[in-house]
Amino acid sequence: AQTDKHEPSINTDVLRDIGTRSLIDTLNSVNGAKTLVLDPSLAGPLGLVIEVSTLKNHGVDKMFWLEAGPLAASTTNIVYLCRPSIKHVKIIADQIKRHARESQKHLYNLFLVPRKSTVVTRILEEEGVLGDINISTYNLQFIPIADDVVSLENENAFKELWVDGDETAVYSSALALVTLQKLYGPFPRIRLATLLTRSLPEQGTLEPDPSAATAPIDSLIILDRHVDMITPLLTQLTYEGLVDEVIGIQNSHIEIPLSLLTVPNAPNPSNPSAALPSTSASNVTPVSNEKTKKHHLTPATDPLFAELRDLNFSSVGKRLNKVAHRLDEDYKARLQAKTVAQLRDFVGKLGGLQTEHQALRLHTGLSEMLVSHTRTELFNKSLEIQQNLLASYETTKQINAIEELIAQGADMQTIIRLLCLASLTTGGIKTKALESIKREILQAFGYNYLPLLLSLSAHPLSAVLPVPLPPSSDPPSKLPFAAVRKSLRLLIDDSPEAIEEVENDISYVYSGYAPISVRLVQCVAQKGGVISNPAEKAPPADGDTNGKANAEKHLRAHPILGWKGFEDTLAQIPGETVDITPKAGNVNSSPSVTSLRNDQTTTTVVFFLGGCTYTEIAALRWVSRQNRGRKFLIATTSIISGKSLIDSIAGADSRTKETSR
Amino acid sequence: AVLSLDEASQMTDPAAILTSVKAAQKFFSEDKDRGFEAKMMDENARLLAYQQQLEKESDGKITFFGLSINETLRTLLMNGMSKKADKVKSDFKVADKRFWYVKLHALTAMRDFEGLDAF
Repeated sequence: AQTDKHEPSINTDVLRDIGTRSLIDTLNSVNGAKTLVLDPSLAGPLGLVIEVSTLKNHGVDKMFWLEAGPLAASTTNIVYLCRPSIKHVKIIADQIKRHARESQKHLYNLFLVPRKSTVVTRILEEEGVLGDINISTYNLQFIPIADDVVSLENENAFKELWVDGDETAVYSSALALVTLQKLYGPFPRIRLATLLTRSLPEQGTLEPDPSAATAPIDSLIILDRHVDMITPLLTQLTYEGLVDEVIGIQNSHIEIPLSLLTVPNAPNPSNPSAALPSTSASNVTPVSNEKTKKHHLTPATDPLFAELRDLNFSSVGKRLNKVAHRLDEDYKARLQAKTVAQLRDFVGKLGGLQTEHQALRLHTGLSEMLVSHTRTELFNKSLEIQQNLLASYETTKQINAIEELIAQGADMQTIIRLLCLASLTTGGIKTKALESIKREILQAFGYNYLPLLLSLSAHPLSAVLPVPLPPSSDPPSKLPFAAVRKSLRLLIDDSPEAIEEVENDISYVYSGYAPISVRLVQCVAQKGGVISNPAEKAPPADGDTNGKANAEKHLRAHPILGWKGFEDTLAQIPGETVDITPKAGNVNSSPSVTSLRNDQTTTTVVFFLGGCTYTEIAALRWVSRQNRGRKFLIATTSIISGKSLIDSIAGADSRTKETSR
Repeated sequence: AVLSLDEASQMTDPAAILTSVKAAQKFFSEDKDRGFEAKMMDENARLLAYQQQLEKESDGKITFFGLSINETLRTLLMNGMSKKADKVKSDFKVADKRFWYVKLHALTAMRDFEGLDAF
């Protein structure tokens, strides 16, 4: 039932079509059969827009990964598809030279995603192969990964921006946003919470679009990941978030034991689905010999997942149980079928029931995997430290606790996340304590993590800071966490049971902590939600979800008013905020137009520069459920978790691990 | 300095790694704000040297080179070289707590119940 509530008001499938079509056009621009050489990091994103069979139909003969070493191509045409990185181009140049030496004749085409860079041409020139290759671009932009989420699927955006100082991602994001404007009309208002205002001119010089008056998008909110570093460091507690944390979701695919997708689980007394007649679970899916299988996790084919993904994990079990019971009832209907017509009716439904059963089994299995993880001591310890740090409760003790975790052999990402969190919430760790903890980390995990520690404490990121600061370093922008926590009501002192029962605030996604990023969005789009808990307005007698929902029904989404009322808070957060109304068009300047008509649903685009977490998506969905008349379209450079964040900063060695996963 | 570390992580030849780690140490020590990093690199170089020595002593049967201190300790304990492990512990000032956890895990993994009993 929840799915129809956040039906998007704009259709994101258009974006996928664009991606598919332009890829096909790109391939067709090269005549004849061709060998496709693919950058492995593009395989996931491309898999979301196109099928291998489609590629074959358009003349792709063989596909190879772009890897160092010789390339054995049987066709004259070779098509390279890769991101413009120095490493990749070097490999390509090497392969071309090798072919030349072996006097093989090929026609080379290089398509760079999403655009050309001068570095690439320079390298090719230096290697002396520029004349042999035909360079062009394939502009891969936002890929819809859910009906209200679009992503650039550029995993390294955060690292490039904040560690390497490479602002390519800003440019490609701006381009992608421009495409959005072309599709859905310009954004009447743009709001930024960012340090990187350089992308602005590109937005401002846009030609006004005649369709502006009917634009379904009322505003664009750009959030820089750096504004809210804390949220991704925390352990995500929604179902989808936790799956990402524990198993890892890559380009909305997960790799899970095959048994979850095919053979029924071992009977589980607490799970009524196991008691179902086993004959109904005929093996529909083909059995393969691999141990794990990639499964595309998408609400489009899996309605149960759509129901579960945004729930706090503590209530997932209950929901699964309910679904299992319903399925059981449906199956029992067969027994009551007396007449032939009734039987036929049931058989007609059987197919649907079986897919549902399949989905239920998958999610029950997944939850079991998650539960076994959440029951570990390490998981709970780190959760406890997180909560204490957020509440600034006995911070020195928490640091000792982190040290204890290192001793107990917790994995590297967990430790680094906690360390960054400690530093961010307290505004820095005492030099002596920090050095001893760094030493512990290096000894326990290896000295090769020193560059990671260095880049974490380096200037723009400043995630790990000593107190007092060494005199020579420039003063970094510090987050006065305690003040922000108060003014944005980040922590909710609800008893845990209450949070489980009533999802009454966005903080439910982290069991009591509201992500700063989402609170900032609320500052713009749902001011009431920041100041007080909307659920408290409902009479205490019917404080359950229904009562609250009724109270909320009357609350119209108010028009986007800018940061008004929260200027003080925003001043505390590093980075400048910008509120601009582009002069394009004549509609936007008068407030009467931006205010909502009663029957109209507008969409607010929230763009996360540097990635967002599944949990933040869940929280934003919650916000849009509270207000009638406003939907969110979440755009991001990629979906991140604390783990992938640390991994990407840790650099090369862990990245190879990522791709091999 | 980070560059030479990067170099070190890509090399396979032990001697070359050692040189670049030492180079990194030198770079760090030239910057007075990087005292901590210099110290760590010094430790790293010492560890690598000691690991080379250990490999020689075990006739190349056991690989130590490039392991972290925890892994080194674990490998030593698993191979019944607890004296050497104690030496690593004191040489690199490994915190007691961490050492005992490593030892505990190693002994459990080996199912050395006598060792566990003597704990």
